[in-house]
Amino acid sequence: MSKKIQILLFILPAIVLVGLFVYGFTAYTVQVSLTSWRDVGFGGTFVGLDNYIRLFTTDRVFKTSLINTLKLTAIFIGVTIPLGLLLAVLLDLKIKGRSIFRLIFLLPLSFSFVASAAMWTWMFSPNIGSINAFLRAIGLEALTQPWITSEEQAIVCIAIAYIWQFSGFSTLVYYAGISGVPPEISEAAKIDGASTFQRYMRVIIPMQKPATLTVLMILLMYSLRVFDLVWLMTGGGPGTSSEILSTFMYRTAFNRNRFGYGASIGTIMFVLSVIIIIPFFLKLRRSEYE
Amino acid sequence: MKRLFVVFLVTCFLLAGSVTLAASEDELIVYHWWTAGGEKEAIDALFEAFLEEHPNVEIIENPVAGGGGGIMRAQIKTMIMAGNPPDTFQITYGHGMISSFASVLQPIDDLIKGYNIPESVYEWGRVDGKMYGVPLNLMQNNCLWYNEDLVEELGIEMPIESIYDFLVVCSEIKDAGYVPLAVGAGMGQKFWLGTLFEAINSSLPSGGAGFLNEYYAGNVSPSESSVFKNTLQVMKTLIDNDFINDDFSALTWDQAGDLMATGKAVFYVMGDWAKGHFTAMGLEPRVDFGYQPFPGTSDTFVGHADCFVLPVGVDKQLAKDWIKFLTTVKAANTFCPIKGAAPFVLDAPLNVYDSITKEILGYFRNENVAKVLSQFGAPPESYLDVFGTAFSQFFNDPVINESSLDNFDYAYEEVFWY
Repeated sequence: MSKKIQILLFILPAIVLVGLFVYGFTAYTVQVSLTSWRDVGFGGTFVGLDNYIRLFTTDRVFKTSLINTLKLTAIFIGVTIPLGLLLAVLLDLKIKGRSIFRLIFLLPLSFSFVASAAMWTWMFSPNIGSINAFLRAIGLEALTQPWITSEEQAIVCIAIAYIWQFSGFSTLVYYAGISGVPPEISEAAKIDGASTFQRYMRVIIPMQKPATLTVLMILLMYSLRVFDLVWLMTGGGPGTSSEILSTFMYRTAFNRNRFGYGASIGTIMFVLSVIIIIPFFLKLRRSEYE
Repeated sequence: MKRLFVVFLVTCFLLAGSVTLAASEDELIVYHWWTAGGEKEAIDALFEAFLEEHPNVEIIENPVAGGGGGIMRAQIKTMIMAGNPPDTFQITYGHGMISSFASVLQPIDDLIKGYNIPESVYEWGRVDGKMYGVPLNLMQNNCLWYNEDLVEELGIEMPIESIYDFLVVCSEIKDAGYVPLAVGAGMGQKFWLGTLFEAINSSLPSGGAGFLNEYYAGNVSPSESSVFKNTLQVMKTLIDNDFINDDFSALTWDQAGDLMATGKAVFYVMGDWAKGHFTAMGLEPRVDFGYQPFPGTSDTFVGHADCFVLPVGVDKQLAKDWIKFLTTVKAANTFCPIKGAAPFVLDAPLNVYDSITKEILGYFRNENVAKVLSQFGAPPESYLDVFGTAFSQFFNDPVINESSLDNFDYAYEEVFWY
């Protein structure tokens, strides 16, 4: 048996499984989205693009959930990346007790989403939550907020929970990137009279482009399909104020038995992810070749 | 040898996904959502009673907590679609809910022949003239629970006779610094606002059975119904006057019940399963907490039941024995007293039930009390989610105008016509 055939045989199971369970079921979802399937038993007839037309014309929650998804993504990415970079720089500064801080920064990453959701829901609870309790204890009652019970604040609360959970990941990638900067470059800048601040701002951070692209792409991919914390913390509420595409899809398919319609939301999520991710993916590949 | 090893590895990988583990004939795979205080103890006792009659079998139970069963139903749907349903599972009993599953369930008329329950209860669950679920426990939804100590401290005269008296009392309670009415509709449990809607609607002169039965059949347009609008008006009064806890959208049903149980709130509207939760907390009925039908609804019984069903494709004798077992007095009187529910079976001795359950059963068996199958059984399953969301939107912005009513019309169309 030639080596090529052996290699092919080894990767064949992966090709078959990924082909079936990823691409096969993606295609199946698209097919289902063109049907009126709305019974727990198998059923539904071909309705063409009716589900998509309804989504974009008459559905009242779809638009809200699309905007909420983009809003959550923007807050999550917009804070997690700079925060991760800042924490990585702090770790790189070789301050005292660095290993303890490293543990503290990375700990949230090891929490299960269910535990995180329970913790943050309790913290953001307006009456029994620890955040408002703390504000009251230090005499700042005027600053207490309704948090997850407010239509305006619920999505921000969820974003904070995600930021807390993922900032460790972002820190880890940046820390690896910063650690990979050859010491002689930093030393050269130092000899040229650059301060610590200038060395980071002018030399080390500009060299973190590949790390930034990696973090950005992974967090983007994740944030466009988040479900767990949203579902567990607010269930999309109050009202539809924190409804995002994934919770709306789940609700539509499994709570309302509109499987065809739910599949059309899933398909739109897929298309949206592809549209947003592909430019970053191409950029990342290009920078790898460079 | 090397080649053989490679081929063996590849074959193993390919076959790995196609192997399914079949449950044996002496195992019963059961899915249910009874995990809260009182409920868990009740189902454990029921399993034990079943095992007394089937000592050599094993029950593999899969309790799925949360969402009033919504999370478990979602899981069951994926299992059914994958062609791997459990031997039996729990759903709420009612033609609307059951019809959402009927195409994947077996009729069980032959198995439950002789089940001594009122004919009206059979009618609640029949779909196209067939029975698909065996109702186990009767639940009343329009219950008002109250904290006995606070009621005494504030000098509130119980029972409260009408919704108008109730609103006056709520105002007095608020002035005394307590939360008048505890509400919990958070963490995906928006549908409990529908339970409050049912109770309030039943308290209004033109609401109750006549309206709700038509409403759940899809024959009412919310924006054109004065009864619907009047019900919203009462809900709005509760919200605008701060008669409910402001963190209702962060609390689950049992957390809201705890507000009443721990003396932070005076009243709590919830089905009679709340009693099981309170007693599991160590509270004593009629001593620590009291019960009355929601003010102005003593002539209306809004209720539903839990039932177990037999999915298509399950031909296991043990599963059929389980369904038959649930029709017995032994099953009812093992499960219901612990859960805090009432039995359907007419010849069940009532000496094992507390006075509240006996009172609830008295209402149910009173011919002069109109019966309404609740939101958990009468409308299609989607009602819980769609109207839960619509009520949640209303509770966060309690305005009754063309736009908000249009939102309810849209929800109604989603459930009944789309």
